Amino acid sequence: MTQTDPAPSPAEATVDVLEPERTISATTRFGRIKQGEAWRSVFRHPQLDTPRGRALQSFSNVFLHVYPVKVPARVLRLRYSWRLGYIATVLFTILIVTGVYLMFFYTPSVNSAYGDMQQLRTGVGFGQLVRNVHRWSAHLMVLVVVLHLVRVFYAGAYKRPRQFNWVLGMMLLVITLGFSFTGYLLPWDQLSYWAVTVGTNLVNYIPLLGGTVRDVLIGGEQIGQATLLRFYALHVAVLPLSLAMVLMIHIWRVRKDGFAVTRGGTGAFAEEATELASENLVLDPVVAADGARVRLLGVVDRESVTAEERLTDDTVFTYPHMLVRHVVVGLGTIAVVLALGIAFAAPLRGIANPNETPEPAKAPWYFVGLQEMLSHFDPLVAGILLPAGVLITLILLPYVDRNPATESRYRKVAIVIFSIILTAAIVLTVIGALFRGPGWEFIPPWRHSYLEL
Amino acid sequence: MTNTRRNFLKAGWRYCTGLLAVAAGWTTWELLRPLRASGASGKFKVGNPSEFADGTATYNSAGRLWIANTGGHLFALSQKCPHLGCRVPFCESSGQFECPCHGSVFDIAGEHVTGPSPRGMDQYALSIENGELFVDLDAKTDGPPPGTRNFYTPAKGPSCKGQG
Repeated sequence: MTQTDPAPSPAEATVDVLEPERTISATTRFGRIKQGEAWRSVFRHPQLDTPRGRALQSFSNVFLHVYPVKVPARVLRLRYSWRLGYIATVLFTILIVTGVYLMFFYTPSVNSAYGDMQQLRTGVGFGQLVRNVHRWSAHLMVLVVVLHLVRVFYAGAYKRPRQFNWVLGMMLLVITLGFSFTGYLLPWDQLSYWAVTVGTNLVNYIPLLGGTVRDVLIGGEQIGQATLLRFYALHVAVLPLSLAMVLMIHIWRVRKDGFAVTRGGTGAFAEEATELASENLVLDPVVAADGARVRLLGVVDRESVTAEERLTDDTVFTYPHMLVRHVVVGLGTIAVVLALGIAFAAPLRGIANPNETPEPAKAPWYFVGLQEMLSHFDPLVAGILLPAGVLITLILLPYVDRNPATESRYRKVAIVIFSIILTAAIVLTVIGALFRGPGWEFIPPWRHSYLEL
Repeated sequence: MTNTRRNFLKAGWRYCTGLLAVAAGWTTWELLRPLRASGASGKFKVGNPSEFADGTATYNSAGRLWIANTGGHLFALSQKCPHLGCRVPFCESSGQFECPCHGSVFDIAGEHVTGPSPRGMDQYALSIENGELFVDLDAKTDGPPPGTRNFYTPAKGPSCKGQG
């Protein structure tokens, strides 16, 4: 017998049908598993490190399918978006996971809710940590969603064709605030009871319907068992489903509307592509020259061909470039909330007592600016008309602001108005959160801090 | 628009969907609207009128209200601040009601003195039957508007604000 080099057997190397020039090594145990029928039934293609392989992975993976296969290279830069929308999504996921843990140990009853919180602190392994992470993630989510809104405004990214996605973003902000507010009551301690008392009494000032709306919201005239149950149902079912639904559309629209051009305005592929699409795409049936009835799906002219080439040149594969960055930012977000959860315990005051208002009784920090305003102006103006006016204006902003420019030097009026409102909101929140003490007296935080989170 | 079967069906499902949405909204509203007021209600005895001395405010936990006496006039005042619903304690040193949330101050008769509250403290109807004082929790009236000075007495001493 003469020795010859053994030819690679089918068990050791496989030619992939989609990528014939590539072979998959089957010399390792994992390689053999990956060639098995079971593996291939789950992952329909080999993980090939080629452009085509990456594209196929994105196409056939439900999670990667959230992303476009390729993204403009500029999107990879941190300064493009500061990843704020993504961080908010990560925080939402953390809240879902930790929230489900907490649900195992919580009963929405005024008789047991507070005891459950104490039990969570002392009698459940990692219970306090999970609650802390849940609490700080909720606060951070409100902050990050607001920062996301501010960034999108200053970048002018709410303008055509992303008007409706801005509206969806505003809906997400309102749902996030609702999430945080309903969760605030659940510990059933003095802090939550009185913060929610102050918050829900604002509704009273809605003309004509105020009292009825408040009764529906809290399930009676006073905060009690019905309120706790309603807030719980909203917190664990209605709002998560609403947020997930709107978030899904929001992310989908980011892809469909194209990525915003936030600097300079050159290379604005998304805008050009959308304009071309809206101007040139004809969907109505037309009659061809020979009289045959045909459906014209699109008209391609030279400009769009140019735009197509710029897209190709300007883009990189989402997997791995974007995905790696998202994994890093996601892990960083988890690290931050874990660090906060380890360093700072979520507050738990005495059990809710309707007969004793703590001094001071502050609303949650994101509503304390309203509370501060209420101490200066008529409640109808400060509690209803002004905030509702700002909210409605923000929702309608993309349809009101007809200026197509995204650069700040061409939209000074909008930026000045927005900046004044933003500054006022920050100043009011800081004063209310840090500088107010018992009886709403002005007390600097260096004398005594009455900050409630 | 011509009256074709397609147009009829198109209009039909639109109206049906609209009706369904209205029915769902109305049902949800009725489902969530409290049918009766929660908490205490009805008329109940709070004591003998002589138990409430002039210039004092006595807390009644059953009704969550204050029985105040100024110059022989008795008032049953809701403990809820009309501003944003905080419980308003009575400050013994000033002889006034002082809200800890936003600093509204009311005199012993519940009249608005200062602060952001839109009116004086809400009041319940009082009655004397067989020499006993009764409060009717179902007969609640809004407090007097700001500026009312029918029973006003200035603060007799220092405020309780800031004393925690």
